[in-house]
Amino acid sequence: MRSRHPGYVLAVLSILTVLVVVAEAGAADEKSRLDVVLERGKLIVVTMSTVPPFAFNDEKNQLVGFDVDLVRLLATALFKDPNKVEFVIVTAEGRWPAIESGRADIGVGGTTVYPDRALRVAFTRPFIDSGISVLVSKKSGIKSMQDLNQDRFTIANLNNPQMADRAKRFFPKTKVLTFDTPSAQFLAVRSGRANALQIDTPSADYFAAQSKDEFDVLPGLLGASQNNAIYFKPGDFKWWLWLDTAVAELRSGSWYPQYTEIYQKWFGKNPPPQKFYLQQ
Amino acid sequence: MNTPTLTLLLQAAGVSLLLALAAIAAGTVAAALLTALAFSRLRPLRFFYRLYVYVVRGTPLLVLALLIFYALPALDLRAGPYLAGVLVLTVYVAALFAEVFRGGVLAIPRPQWESAKSLGVPPGPLLRKIVGPLVLRYALPPYVNVCVMTVKATSVLSIISVWELTLASREIIERTLAVFTVLSVAGVLYFIMCLGIDRIGRRLERRLALRGFAGERV
Amino acid sequence: MLQLNWFRTYGATYLDALGWTAVTALAASAGALVWGCALFLLRLTGGRWGARGVDAYVQAFRNTPVLLPIYLIYFGFPLIGLPWPAVVCGGLALVLQNGAYISEILRGSYQAIDRVQFDAAKSIGLGPWHTFRKITLPQVLVYSIPSLGNQVVLLLKDTSLLSAISVTELTMQAKLLTEQTGAAYEAFIVVAALYLVLVSGTEVFFRVAHRTVRWR
Repeated sequence: MRSRHPGYVLAVLSILTVLVVVAEAGAADEKSRLDVVLERGKLIVVTMSTVPPFAFNDEKNQLVGFDVDLVRLLATALFKDPNKVEFVIVTAEGRWPAIESGRADIGVGGTTVYPDRALRVAFTRPFIDSGISVLVSKKSGIKSMQDLNQDRFTIANLNNPQMADRAKRFFPKTKVLTFDTPSAQFLAVRSGRANALQIDTPSADYFAAQSKDEFDVLPGLLGASQNNAIYFKPGDFKWWLWLDTAVAELRSGSWYPQYTEIYQKWFGKNPPPQKFYLQQ
Repeated sequence: MNTPTLTLLLQAAGVSLLLALAAIAAGTVAAALLTALAFSRLRPLRFFYRLYVYVVRGTPLLVLALLIFYALPALDLRAGPYLAGVLVLTVYVAALFAEVFRGGVLAIPRPQWESAKSLGVPPGPLLRKIVGPLVLRYALPPYVNVCVMTVKATSVLSIISVWELTLASREIIERTLAVFTVLSVAGVLYFIMCLGIDRIGRRLERRLALRGFAGERV
Repeated sequence: MLQLNWFRTYGATYLDALGWTAVTALAASAGALVWGCALFLLRLTGGRWGARGVDAYVQAFRNTPVLLPIYLIYFGFPLIGLPWPAVVCGGLALVLQNGAYISEILRGSYQAIDRVQFDAAKSIGLGPWHTFRKITLPQVLVYSIPSLGNQVVLLLKDTSLLSAISVTELTMQAKLLTEQTGAAYEAFIVVAALYLVLVSGTEVFFRVAHRTVRWR
């Protein structure tokens, strides 16, 4: 048996190749995801569970957050019941397979829109502004982005290519650690493994608020102001149209009051005005 | 350490234990089927058995878990995280149990097979009255060993966000930074579970001991 | 999307990660072997308390999953002023865990050595350290080669857990490539195949070693 090792590896590779080809072939859908969801009576959402304040576990181990409340609003629109939602929890790289394979209908969780990401998943219009901030530990004495760019410092990244790009662009000399959840990044900074981390501004603010004398959020954004949106499988016009309409109405139309309610709950302030020409 | 944290860890330990027990049950059944394949008269079936064991034992559990997690939806089985976790563990553990059972069958001394054949024992009673009891006693120590390995393997599921003792510990550490306390308590809980299974196995071995059986202290 | 030129693009990345996995496994195996021998020596010469201590150590590591020491060393040591790099922390956890198992393997082989040899050694005046070095250890190691091979394979598979503490080995690389390209199956299938290659290679190496040494 042992001397036939190359044979086994070949056999394994061929079986798995067949499986992959079959899986890809079986992925063609005829019905719109909107109809599937309505029939099913439940919305399945994929998210990370460690991105406060968008989606995270509270002390009672319940999944809560701004994005969580937002999808409950979508469920209310679909089924008149905010509890008809099922969450699939993944780590950062698990988001895309969950959508592409059809395991989840939509995904949220502080996910930012990037053009290269949009090659694989479709996005609605943004439901909240974001941007990437840098959180530092006060002990490291870093006061600005330039300070961080030295090779005695370490920055904790999430395992997506955009973070790696930014680290290369803004802090080429800094050492890099890669994790698969924001809370692992935060633990790295707290335990002294890293001196800084880069994450969405609301998350950075939330982490820093946990211990104001230990952490600081550096002023300014890494790059531009960004957009967080709902992502889902591309090619489904009906599903996209409904989701996009819903988000549009939440941000600037008939459901602005509900949007304001959850925005105030999680960020303690009013959202941007629904139309620039209307008084707040 | 405060009480809510301790309660959370105890709950999580319970989840780990349940995951392990479910995987052990399903894995044993699957392994029995696999062992049947291993001794089949058909070459392709025997080949499939050896291929299965080769792949599962040669790949890290984490990689198997990630593969199955990403592949599951494509096979159109929408399962919650716990069901998927038990599935992963079952696939892994079935291979280990199958090897244990196979070893047990191979350990039966030749004279036993020959006497059964010369007496003309039909296959049903052969399995139930001769092979079964012997394999059970030969395989029990390594079987208990694999059970303990299953409990330890549940901790790998934490990396794919299945909530059990290791993930619960990590979450608490991320909140409170009490690394040593929390991980020590988690370690003690695992220790109790694993040692418990080991002791139960030992007691079972003693109770099942047959007169004149190999290794018995006369 | 099964694109065959994809291996040309990412081949180097995989080989890099493969290198890391192999080197980490090699270093950790060597360390675990040394530590296992040390524990074994302690058991032989430490009297009743030495043997009890080693027993307790082995039981502790046998009944706890290896992820716990990995997290403890990685996240805990910086808190007590020892911020070692991730590879070192993970490697240390693997050494501590596998050293326990190796000391048990050595203990099993030790019981297979003929007692006569120890009497002979004493009669020609060999002290305990020399007996250990020249008679006990070589034989125990030779008898243990198959089981040691087994343990090294287990250690090799455990290196995949180091991806949880951000070591860029094979499993971590698969995750990164999944993020980059969205090709989850391809990435993990290639990684699984690479692990199979490593494991088979290790098994072949130990089988050859066993045969060579037995011949002498």
